Amino acid sequence: MLLRYITRRTLIGFVQLFCLVIAVFFLIRLLPADPVSRLVGLNSSPEAYEQAARQLGLHRSLFDQLGIYLGLNPEIAQGLLQGSLGTSWATGSSVGSEITTFLPVTLQLITLAFILAFVISIPVGMLGALNPGKAADKGIFVYSLFAGSQPEFWWGLLFVYVFYFQLGWAPAPLGQLSPMTFPPEPVTGFMLIDTLIAGEPAKFFEALHHLMMPVITLAFILSGPIIKMVRQNMVRALQSDFVLYANLIGLPGKRVARYALRAAMGPSMTLIGILYGFMLSGAVLVESVFSLGGIGQYAIRSVLAFDYPAIQGVVLVITAISLIVYLALDLIHAAIDPRIAY
Amino acid sequence: MKSIMSITTSALCALSIAGAASAQEILILAEDVPAGLNYDGPTAAIPSSQQGMVTLLEPLVGYADGEVSDGVTLPDFNTFEGRLAESWEFDEASLTWTFKLREGVTGCGGATFNADDVIYTFQRAKSVSGAAPIGWFLSNVASIHGFGPEVFGDDASAKELGDSIVKIDDYTVQIKQGEPNALLLPVLTIFGLLIFDKETMEANATDSDPWSHDYVNNTNAPGFGAYCLESWAKNEQITYSSFEGYYRGAPDATRVSVRRVPQSSNRLVVLRSGQADLVTGLTPREFNSIAEVDGVTVAGITGNENLFIHMNFDVAPFDNVNLRKAISHAIPYDQIIATGYFGQATKWEGHVPSTYPGFTASAGFSYDPEIAKTLLAEAGYPDGAGLEVFADAFALSYVAEKESTLGPIVNVIQTALRDVGIPATLNPIPQTQYGDRQLVKRDLPFAVNDQEKPIGVDAGYAVQLFFVSPEKGGLNNMVNYRNDELDTMWSGARVEPDNATRDATLAKIQDMLAADVVWLPVVEYRTQWAFSDKITGLKWYPDNSIRYSDLQIDE
Amino acid sequence: MAAATQELMPEQATYIPPAHRADWLMRIGVSIVTLVIFLAIFGPYIGPYDPTRTTIRIAVPPPGFTEMPRLFWAWIDGTLDHPPHWMGTDANGYDIFSRVIAAPRTDLKIALLANILSLIAGIFFGLVAGYWRNWSTELLIRVSDVLQSFPVFIMAMVLVALAGRSATNIIIALAFVYTPIYLRLTRAEVLSQTSRGFVEAARAMGNSELSIAMRHVLPNSLTPALIQSSVTIGFAILLTAGLSFVGAGVRPPTPEWGLMISTGANQIVLGEWWPSVFPGLAISLTVFGFAVLGNALERRYERG
Repeated sequence: MLLRYITRRTLIGFVQLFCLVIAVFFLIRLLPADPVSRLVGLNSSPEAYEQAARQLGLHRSLFDQLGIYLGLNPEIAQGLLQGSLGTSWATGSSVGSEITTFLPVTLQLITLAFILAFVISIPVGMLGALNPGKAADKGIFVYSLFAGSQPEFWWGLLFVYVFYFQLGWAPAPLGQLSPMTFPPEPVTGFMLIDTLIAGEPAKFFEALHHLMMPVITLAFILSGPIIKMVRQNMVRALQSDFVLYANLIGLPGKRVARYALRAAMGPSMTLIGILYGFMLSGAVLVESVFSLGGIGQYAIRSVLAFDYPAIQGVVLVITAISLIVYLALDLIHAAIDPRIAY
Repeated sequence: MKSIMSITTSALCALSIAGAASAQEILILAEDVPAGLNYDGPTAAIPSSQQGMVTLLEPLVGYADGEVSDGVTLPDFNTFEGRLAESWEFDEASLTWTFKLREGVTGCGGATFNADDVIYTFQRAKSVSGAAPIGWFLSNVASIHGFGPEVFGDDASAKELGDSIVKIDDYTVQIKQGEPNALLLPVLTIFGLLIFDKETMEANATDSDPWSHDYVNNTNAPGFGAYCLESWAKNEQITYSSFEGYYRGAPDATRVSVRRVPQSSNRLVVLRSGQADLVTGLTPREFNSIAEVDGVTVAGITGNENLFIHMNFDVAPFDNVNLRKAISHAIPYDQIIATGYFGQATKWEGHVPSTYPGFTASAGFSYDPEIAKTLLAEAGYPDGAGLEVFADAFALSYVAEKESTLGPIVNVIQTALRDVGIPATLNPIPQTQYGDRQLVKRDLPFAVNDQEKPIGVDAGYAVQLFFVSPEKGGLNNMVNYRNDELDTMWSGARVEPDNATRDATLAKIQDMLAADVVWLPVVEYRTQWAFSDKITGLKWYPDNSIRYSDLQIDE
Repeated sequence: MAAATQELMPEQATYIPPAHRADWLMRIGVSIVTLVIFLAIFGPYIGPYDPTRTTIRIAVPPPGFTEMPRLFWAWIDGTLDHPPHWMGTDANGYDIFSRVIAAPRTDLKIALLANILSLIAGIFFGLVAGYWRNWSTELLIRVSDVLQSFPVFIMAMVLVALAGRSATNIIIALAFVYTPIYLRLTRAEVLSQTSRGFVEAARAMGNSELSIAMRHVLPNSLTPALIQSSVTIGFAILLTAGLSFVGAGVRPPTPEWGLMISTGANQIVLGEWWPSVFPGLAISLTVFGFAVLGNALERRYERG
């Protein structure tokens, strides 16, 4: 039963992805600017234009181009079926390699932010749920509402002004490492891991130092909805029958709270997934304030440069990750919750 | 006594020599690092990529040093100097240039220079196998024989060099022109005809990529420049190490690292903290804010950077010359210089850079709102009545990525135009779209442009590029100006061997441009750099990239 | 992320604090929202400067607190040659105060229109998907899924690249973001409605499916979406500001908080905090006000 459900959802996921790829392919070809113009810069004679168009493969019909992109004509160029996302028109490097350079930066940032947000939110949310109506709970409630409605890019700038410019505690918002430092060999693409693999703990701490403010900024924003969610789910769990029973038979309060927390985490999974998926591109605001060079900035640069393969690649990757995350969470939820019918 | 003195002196000398021999590394922050090193590739038009090309490769010919302004040396555009070519002769009758190449020139990785490298470079240019045919374009502009549009067909023989460029012996090459054209030597100084090392290029060619475009786009540009490529991570940093055997002398800066820091304010911050040695591309405001800081020098010269307003003749109501003249008097030039450039600009009085040979000061527009209103009424729109229907045409476009530099300027222009009754609005658009609409579609009605820097240092080149009718070869004629008289005059001047006559014709042409307000020149702004006090010796080149080999580092 | 939380929050019972303690919070929310609406209507007129005209005073800092009363009286007396710049000026010479109070008009207009558009589309499709359950509505939900996992910023940028920067394009992009949310909300409500008796009864009485859907189910299913919209308006302002910050928003010199923060962002490292801080403060308070208001409405609904 479960297997059938998994297969069905996975298949649907693939179909969604495929339709998305096709849709994006045609959508961006509606873009008004000609990517060719970027190449002909100094010289826009019709011959040069032709030449450049030929280079980009634009002289072929739309469907031919789609076919090549999907990988149906591997003699002309590598395509999706061969695992290639094409070549960026702006830089000439493969889109896949560029994405593997930028994506880990964002993943690292938001994963750390989520962890920090959780570390803060769970105790705070529990505190509120266990003391309903008291001053602490009221304060927590207001805080969660406040934090969740903040413009993160503004807070990022504020932190830069206070903690860098005024106090000097944080480094200048120049990227993952200071410009003076040579980055370690990119093995995984995750700066923190790579510095450790390369055996350079000084750079590890420097990277951590540079990540401090962006992570705090994002964690601050994330803490709003997460606290709210933990609190609400905890309250619900605390009102449920099994907790009532646990209290009646005299289990210690802390133990009951832990059981309730476990029950509260289940429904929270979907929200986490949605937040994570959203943050993949939503982190771009914080990324640009701190010049981190993540996938969001890469996407923006590609759109501005009308770099079709890069745009297609980024949209595909980000959406694929989101869909996978949703699918995984749906499956976990389905496995846990017997009420969900396959 | 004397002996002690002489011992001390020689000891001091030895110490200072030892000091000079120590490694001198500099860190440069730029908006971007090269995205490719191929002047026939997709990144050819990007200044940060051009910087990489001129660092690693060497031209045949260069300009001699001219005057020094603010500590920066300017080229003397009237005197050519040999680089990889030692000397040359020109035979007017057969239009043939004979170049005597320099012997004993070597490059990174043991490369040796001779005529084969020159032939290879031009053959590669003529093959137009890259994403952008810049090498071909420059050769075509200089009327090198055989570099016409016929190379773009499928006919493989049209891409052969034939007898246009011939190797006479290992150190002599002949280049034939198809018609008299004064642009040959200027063109040979440009980044689009830098000489590659044939052996390394061919070693990295593949069957599907015989001219090594992939290699140069992504790995290295092998040539005879002052630096060798040490490491390169696109979008991050690029590091060069000096080539000890550089034929003009080993550079002072032994190691140059360029880091990508996209935001200008961030570059400023690092420079101020003393961690970087040189930054480029700051806004005028930012340059102004560090000009007085200890340890930092700001130097600027008037080169070929300028700002003008673009009004498209093919879009109403800009076909109305009186309207164009009215607008020319509505622009507050001095305010723009003061608040947009902090004084680091001068009013531009012509249509070609004032430093270029052949420039004549012809435009004499002044800021006078009263005259502007009168002319507006004469144009048929008293107080702007009737212009509302052209609201779309009056959306002042500019490159969105340059918001921090152009912001103050376009906002001032917009306010000033509205003050005389012209319904101007702002329209920032991405660079790619701007380029497309300006160069390919040519339908941009009204825009502010600060990125036209003609790479051929010659007023005639600029005229050819921008002001000749699009149908007759005006490749960048973004305003769709069509003037038969100008076209005829230029086609004569183009092949005119006598410089005086050519200059006189060019002067007349520039007067015509001013009369029709073909462009509305606003300012020529200074090209500036900010760097640590220990650096001197900066030189300016028309491509606005510095050559790291010029820098002198004092410890 | 703000949009994402809409997904789950309203479906779960909200904790209901005792009525008298809730009031002060709601009063704050209502006051903020009222102020914003007031500024949306009158803001561009009451500022001392025209929000779209530059002055020649570039990057002037705001006056210190102790300065302000003196300046104020001098201004009233007419002894100043130009009105004071209460929040300073930015690098282009615009008076920040006039622009901060003129911005709600832009932001609110976009947020309202986007919301209305997505409400209509979301409710309609949610009704269809919830009432008629077959393969086509399943498809609808899957499409809605994909739309939700689509990276919002990139889509907005593509739209902007397609059609230029304008308020209309932002509205369309926002509508794409919020329609799936309303769709899900409405659908969930419709599903729960149709499982109740009155639908069966109406069918038994011979009413057509369409009339049942429109006259009985729809009115009862509107509430969650409508409640949601008050919070969503606030988050739409956040999203608009974010889009303007990355360059996909409104065109300058339209006063808009996100755009102002973006223009001022470069100056923070130079120590000039005022072009970015004041607009940000405005967004911060505004969205918070809407969130509080929405929350209060939610609670009312839950209780009722």
